[in-house]
Amino acid sequence: MTVDTIRNNRQKSFSQLLLAPGVFWMLLFLVAPIVMIIYVSFWTQTTFSINSTLTLASWKNFFSSEAYVGALWTTLRLWLIVLSLTFIIGYPAALFVGLLVKSKTLATVLLVLCVIPFWTSFLIRVLAWRPMLGKEGAINIILQKLGLINTPIEALLFSELSVVIGMTQIYVVFMVGPIAFMLGRIDRNIIEAARDLGAGFGRIFWKIIFPLSLPGVVVGAIFVSVMVLGEFATSGALSGRKVNLLGNIIVTQVGSLKWAMASVVGVILTFLLAVVVAGFLRIVDLKSEL
Amino acid sequence: MNQSEPVFRLENVTRRYGDLTALDSINFEAPRNEYLSLLGPSGSGKTCLLRIIAGFEKPDEGKVYFQGKDITSLPAHERGIGFVFQNFALFPHLSVFENIAFGFRNGTMNVDASEIDKRVGEAVEMVGLAGLEDRNPEQISGGQKQRVALARTLVMQPKLVLLDEPLGALDANLRGRMQTELRMIREQLDVTFLHVTGSETEALAMGDTVSVLDSGKIIQTGAPDEIYNDPSSSDVALFLNRFNLFEGKLEKGSFAGPFGEVAVKKVQPNDRDMYAIRYDRTKAYKKGQTVPGPALPAKFLASEYLGSSIIFLFETVDRKQVEIDHHLSFGDPDEYKVGEEYVLSWDPAQALVFGKEATQ
Repeated sequence: MTVDTIRNNRQKSFSQLLLAPGVFWMLLFLVAPIVMIIYVSFWTQTTFSINSTLTLASWKNFFSSEAYVGALWTTLRLWLIVLSLTFIIGYPAALFVGLLVKSKTLATVLLVLCVIPFWTSFLIRVLAWRPMLGKEGAINIILQKLGLINTPIEALLFSELSVVIGMTQIYVVFMVGPIAFMLGRIDRNIIEAARDLGAGFGRIFWKIIFPLSLPGVVVGAIFVSVMVLGEFATSGALSGRKVNLLGNIIVTQVGSLKWAMASVVGVILTFLLAVVVAGFLRIVDLKSEL
Repeated sequence: MNQSEPVFRLENVTRRYGDLTALDSINFEAPRNEYLSLLGPSGSGKTCLLRIIAGFEKPDEGKVYFQGKDITSLPAHERGIGFVFQNFALFPHLSVFENIAFGFRNGTMNVDASEIDKRVGEAVEMVGLAGLEDRNPEQISGGQKQRVALARTLVMQPKLVLLDEPLGALDANLRGRMQTELRMIREQLDVTFLHVTGSETEALAMGDTVSVLDSGKIIQTGAPDEIYNDPSSSDVALFLNRFNLFEGKLEKGSFAGPFGEVAVKKVQPNDRDMYAIRYDRTKAYKKGQTVPGPALPAKFLASEYLGSSIIFLFETVDRKQVEIDHHLSFGDPDEYKVGEEYVLSWDPAQALVFGKEATQ
């Protein structure tokens, strides 16, 4: 063996050593639990106990129950609505911060301002919507004072609408950040080159700016999707138990010690997330963009 | 438009950034179908000048005329003036073909698809990029990027193309090749190139006409040999990087400098008294040898071999560097010892003198 190959082997074993803690961590806390919930989802659940006899009962139970399948559709519907809203509201904001604001300092200050709400706890931010949206909440009072409505709008709180409003407000910043980052990296000369070749603002936006910001949109969409699909707290706090998401079902099933059913929902949710993330990653090749 | 009318003209163009005056009442015009180079050190306002012509910035005062029309308030995308960026600014997500076709597809012109194919094809051919149409900008070399940037602009058939230090991002070898190529491409088309550069060799090599910009003002315009042999001020002589410049005092037709007093005949008006002698007209003599003119004692520092010539660096008593350019076609150079004292001299008739007491 030459000195070089010895050195190579040493380097190899050293880099393996560096990887070891991470690999160990992922195996123990990601791979093993996933394998475990898949396994448990096939266990036999009786009212008060669970045993490892394999059965399809919990899976059949999930797909034959209107409530469970309904929760799946509600989750998908709310996810699509919140994803669209965060994009519609977030993209213009990102465009302003990342592209139109010329000074890098001001852009950073604006991004930090977006993050300030995170200084309070998640639950407080969600619950703060109650006095805003309630029957005697701020919005209804203002609308009544202005004479725009006579009776308060009740649909504002404890409805799907309030859950959508709450989630959009909480997650929109995860859309703004990555998009603003990508927009900030666009070489200004490219935009000027497009102008010089005769393209107006609309053309420049659709042909240059939007395609170049797409990786940011995809990263933002992945952030928002992962968080919204696993949500249970916002819907719990703002829907008055009327909106049940897959996350809420997991919480109640675990609460009543129905481990097998909780695992079924967990597996479905994990599968859903994997499909969504894989789908987004197909849109752009993030490896080459970042 | 007749042939003699300038393709564009700047009239008293002034641009300020806060307290800084980047362009100070510039009057400038360019004839049709010419290669103009604009030489300026960094911070002279040369990029600002290009950006105002292109329409990326508006002048605070003054007017810009293009093909006889006042375009001062016309937005950039309606001007039809080409711009080639120093970093090329190719669209990274589009292929070479689509980069070149961008102006047709997204501009104000209405061109049908077969015409686009044909004209982009011709442009690709002209800049020698055939076969690379489907590559992405990241898959081609610096020189090829330069060609795409050029083709993308020229395919729109502009009457004026602004080139902002177009060779700055290329290595020396490629720069030389692109210089020739830029001139050749321009000669095939009826177009004026305004080439901005900080390199004096590039400006002199490329331009049919050279203008020198300093601190927001155009201080000299002329043919390359005119600029080179007859710089109008000591600043121009300094930018040309071919002159040893000495400060001194000019009084009653006599210049007193570090080399003693010399009688001078012709003096160009200048705000300071300066004496200039070209590198290749300065010679070094051993102590005690008879010299043809003024005698400047200096210590030999080092030499740089450039292939066709050698540059010798000397240092005077007041720590000023003096360069001698010895062309090897004039025979082998003398040997100098590092650290030893020599006497530098030149034919005083070949010196240029600038001063407040101008003779003209």
